[in-house]
Amino acid sequence: MSLLELDDVNAYYGESHILRGVTMNVEEGEICALLGRNGAGKTTTLRSIAGATPPNVRSGTVSFKGEDVTGKPAEDVSAGGISLVPEERRVFPNLTVAENLHLAEVVNNKSNTWGRSLTFEHEGMSTEDVYAQFPRLDERRDQQAGTLSGGEQQMLAIARALKQNTDLLLLDEPYEGLAPKIIEDVEDAVQRISEDGTTILLVEQNAAAAIKLADRAYVVDQGQIVFDGTAEELREDEATRERYLGV
Amino acid sequence: MSDRNTTGESSTKSDGGTVIADNTLVARWEEIREREATVVGVTAICVAIFPWLFSRAPVISDVLLGYQSLATLILIWGIFAVGFDLLLGYTGLLSFGHAAFWGGAAYAAGIVANTVSADPIVMVVAGTAFAVLLAWVLGFLSLRRGGIYFSILTLAFAQMLYYMSAAPLAFLTGGENGLTGISVTPLFGVFHLESDLPSVAGTLIGNWMYLFVGVIAVLSVAAAYRILNSPYGMVFRAIRENEQRAEFVGLNVWRYKLMAFIISGAFAGIAGSLFTIHGSYVPLQSLYWTESGEIVIMTVLGGTASLFGPILGAGLYLYVENIVSGVQQLTIPFTDIVLINDFGTYWHLLLGLVFLVVIWVAPRGIWGAVSDLRALVRRLAGGDRR
Repeated sequence: MSLLELDDVNAYYGESHILRGVTMNVEEGEICALLGRNGAGKTTTLRSIAGATPPNVRSGTVSFKGEDVTGKPAEDVSAGGISLVPEERRVFPNLTVAENLHLAEVVNNKSNTWGRSLTFEHEGMSTEDVYAQFPRLDERRDQQAGTLSGGEQQMLAIARALKQNTDLLLLDEPYEGLAPKIIEDVEDAVQRISEDGTTILLVEQNAAAAIKLADRAYVVDQGQIVFDGTAEELREDEATRERYLGV
Repeated sequence: MSDRNTTGESSTKSDGGTVIADNTLVARWEEIREREATVVGVTAICVAIFPWLFSRAPVISDVLLGYQSLATLILIWGIFAVGFDLLLGYTGLLSFGHAAFWGGAAYAAGIVANTVSADPIVMVVAGTAFAVLLAWVLGFLSLRRGGIYFSILTLAFAQMLYYMSAAPLAFLTGGENGLTGISVTPLFGVFHLESDLPSVAGTLIGNWMYLFVGVIAVLSVAAAYRILNSPYGMVFRAIRENEQRAEFVGLNVWRYKLMAFIISGAFAGIAGSLFTIHGSYVPLQSLYWTESGEIVIMTVLGGTASLFGPILGAGLYLYVENIVSGVQQLTIPFTDIVLINDFGTYWHLLLGLVFLVVIWVAPRGIWGAVSDLRALVRRLAGGDRR
């Protein structure tokens, strides 16, 4: 059993059919990349997993740890161990860094106290561990998150997700709009998180950067999976890369 | 507080994990100010000297033309506004039907006084309990929709209550005449609310009524402060900033919104009950939509997303409504040259102008302007601090 399985998922925005039978799975402990051009259906796939509406998943199932989570509200999916780090403005700008991180604890308390029989492979990191991982955030605890640089905000969003009881981390375009030097910092962070054992689904338009980190990759085009293989295979499959990724 | 970010650089963390605060006066003051005890203490002092300043102090009160009963009324609306801001300023929900909780509690307190017990504490408890239940039901229904639809739904429900008490429930509410015949019994059976306090307290605070309202007002501010600095307050602000993101984080947004609505209804209920005790009468007007509008204006005037701004807003609004409206002739100060005759009749216009100017010059309200000014002074005093 894979940690996350999508089986023939069809998702719609209103009447437009966006995901056309997406089937994919993410194995425990790996970094899996989901690649594709702008508008190919990457973000829609992530939103379908995270329980965001729209889109509406009309058929097919999303299962997490063997449990069907299709159509569950986003908050329940999140409390159940899937953390989404959405693209762009990823933090609460008028809350301080410390408060942004503290939100994760509120959610953890909820999943711990509401008598849900949830078990997490990876309990959320402690505040001290998070600050140790991200010293930049430590320095800026009391600063409003909106005043951080783009890279720092991305770090904060990832840190928040890690503080939550997270078994699967969904990263939506984490490199978008960041300078190359900062991208390296984010890559390091992702690598470290993965080494700590958290499973990661990485959605990127920047295929080259994503392949560097990923164990396996899917390529999506017009709402369908057109490639499924190891990162190594994708690196060698020039035809696919040229046709669907433009690199 | 909104200016907490300014302290970002004031403390650094060493490897040993101990916080080394730099020892400037400004940094220390920041720390003290943040502490709850200080906030509550300062509030208590302000509340205690306000009636003296407003209605009895030499020169100041002569210029202000204030009177004791208005000071009490300002505090009552202040409590209402603090609660309203929890919803509007901190959670980002514009309710246009808070008259339902204000007026509902006022009626509940009045009816309890006429039928069960006219003890002021019983009246406050009964009125607040009614407002909380009502907020639960109306919040449950109205929060199904967001944005403008939410505002319209709250308005519609409040107006339903208004028409209900105007005619169908007139046997309970007194209909158009309002609820009359309320005679509030002494506090703890001993202290007549209308009688003055002994010695210095009498000069400073005035009567038992003000003391009663004042104590509840300080407790309300303390409660609001505690809520705002708890995880609940943090979640409220997160929801205001981005509802969907809060959902992704794993928060049950709907439940928190309902909670904010109920808490703010409870504050409105406390205030509404006190309004009945203060006036010994409940006008039908107290359920009308204009009351909902007034609380919005007071809150925005004073400054949303601040603890004390709404109280200032309530004070300014009531001051213009009750004092300025009574001014016959506007003269140039210290002379007899008349600028405008029948000045008081234009008080609505004046209030509109004040509102316009505040929104134009200081979009974050009076309190926002005060904060900006304070930040400026601190920057000048503190050198390199941002």
